Amino acid sequence: MSNESTPLAIRPTWPGARDVFAISIERMLPRPRSFWVFLLLALPVLLAVLLRIYPPKGLPLTGFELYGVVVALFFVRNLLPLVALLFGSALISDAVDSKTLTYFLTRPVSRLSIFLGEFMAYLVTVLTLTVPCVVLTYLVLCVGTPQGAGFGAADLVRDLGACALTLFTYGAVFALLGVSLKRPLIPGLLFLFVWEGFVANFPGDAPNYTLSAYARSLIRHRPSEEGLAELFSKFFGVGESVLTLGIVGVIALALAIWIFSRREYVISS
Amino acid sequence: MTTRVVFKKASRWYGPVMALNDVSFELGPGVYGLLGPNGAGKSSLLKMASGQLRPSQGTVELLGRPAFGSPEVFHAVGLCSDTDAMFEDFTGLQFVSSLLSLNGFDRAQAHKLATEAIEIVDLKDAMHRRVGGYSKGMRQRIKLAQALAHQPEVLFLDEPLTGMDPQNRKRISDLMKRLGDEGRTVLVSTHILHELEQVTRRVLLIHNGRVLAEGDLGEIRDLLDRHPRSVRIKAKDTRGLARELVTLPDLVSLNLEDATQNLLAEIRKPDAFFTKVQEVSATYGVEEMWVTDENLESVFSYLVSK
Repeated sequence: MSNESTPLAIRPTWPGARDVFAISIERMLPRPRSFWVFLLLALPVLLAVLLRIYPPKGLPLTGFELYGVVVALFFVRNLLPLVALLFGSALISDAVDSKTLTYFLTRPVSRLSIFLGEFMAYLVTVLTLTVPCVVLTYLVLCVGTPQGAGFGAADLVRDLGACALTLFTYGAVFALLGVSLKRPLIPGLLFLFVWEGFVANFPGDAPNYTLSAYARSLIRHRPSEEGLAELFSKFFGVGESVLTLGIVGVIALALAIWIFSRREYVISS
Repeated sequence: MTTRVVFKKASRWYGPVMALNDVSFELGPGVYGLLGPNGAGKSSLLKMASGQLRPSQGTVELLGRPAFGSPEVFHAVGLCSDTDAMFEDFTGLQFVSSLLSLNGFDRAQAHKLATEAIEIVDLKDAMHRRVGGYSKGMRQRIKLAQALAHQPEVLFLDEPLTGMDPQNRKRISDLMKRLGDEGRTVLVSTHILHELEQVTRRVLLIHNGRVLAEGDLGEIRDLLDRHPRSVRIKAKDTRGLARELVTLPDLVSLNLEDATQNLLAEIRKPDAFFTKVQEVSATYGVEEMWVTDENLESVFSYLVSK
């Protein structure tokens, strides 16, 4: 029991974050949002099934190459950033809107722990939704092909790593947007479809300033671009891409935590 | 006296709106009532006391530390907020024990303490049900359970009796009294004077963001009794009832309303008046009676003008 002699000390960061995570993951995963996002992520699987059943005549790609295109184009380039926007920007605002943030803010855990716990819950949730879809896409497109399911298994593992890094970086950027703005969804969509969508495909050095160009560079086994497409698709080395995405993610996360730790949340009945 | 909550010239505004104005007081062990009409600033005061809002001016200390930005104090502080928000998909037990885990209790301790707290608020039968399916009164009680479960020294309870039936009101009122007797500091807000009288005699009267009075409930009750209250009575024989009531010494005025034929009485001591009406209600066929300014707003405006 607490009494006058109880030493009042804030709980260490990681145990606090772990306990916040345990609560948040139970609330995040079974939400309707997760169900709809899963359906969205399952679209490439459906596409893969259709491609296997009705292979386009004259398509000069093997099943494995096709898988590379689907992972690079659908997952890393489009779907995962969108998923990160939907979950990441709502990381704290969901708790504010549902008025449950008070329960976290009136416990002896630091705001750093709260944010890290929520962010870990985000990562685990989105990875739980993403990994089966990527693996299924791989299996559908590669099993039973002349090269066999075992071919490119190492690439599959690397692709899952690329997906995780993409979700981490975009999630951190959108979490920063979420704690900075009251309505982050529209600016987030503009960032994704205007900045990331167009600038990443500009010729010259413009793609250096987009996350998309680094994220797509992590998928190494896609067919190489040819002709004009080659001119408009800049690729970076894997090490450079990992480092850039990691640094951007960590900086965005640190800024988001800094803002969250100082902000006052007025939650009224 | 161990001082646990200290407000020193604390003010708070939201943009141009002043929510709390130059408030100073100190609280030690015992139960304190925070009484004021809706919009008086009770919730803002409790949010500042519980470190959710920082003062725009002045200081607020909780257990010797600034209330805002000192999460460590929540080892010894419990809050039952006025918002009807919970983890809707959690069971009652899961809700309370998961919040206890944030206080650093391991799974077994959290389970034990949560079960005890749930028993105290008489929700044991429903503790394995989803809180999303609880009634309003049950939701209030489970919120109270999470505030009590870690046995804090200081408890902030914002309108804790809202939505409860009379039996549970009595149970929770007794509990609050017991917590005060055990030496804990309990600050409970309400806009219903009668509820507070059952728990404590120490009150802070708050109106328009200012603490108007601080002290014994009896003195405040006297002040309130001096303010005429309007009571409207619907009866079968209003004229006979009027003849009976007109002899009461604390009656200020008595009128028969033209449109409704209801009796409108202005009185100074409502308790004596209500007792008298109750005695003669069968004789004159009293059907309904309601205090027209039960809302504390008018009473507080009266107090401010004094």
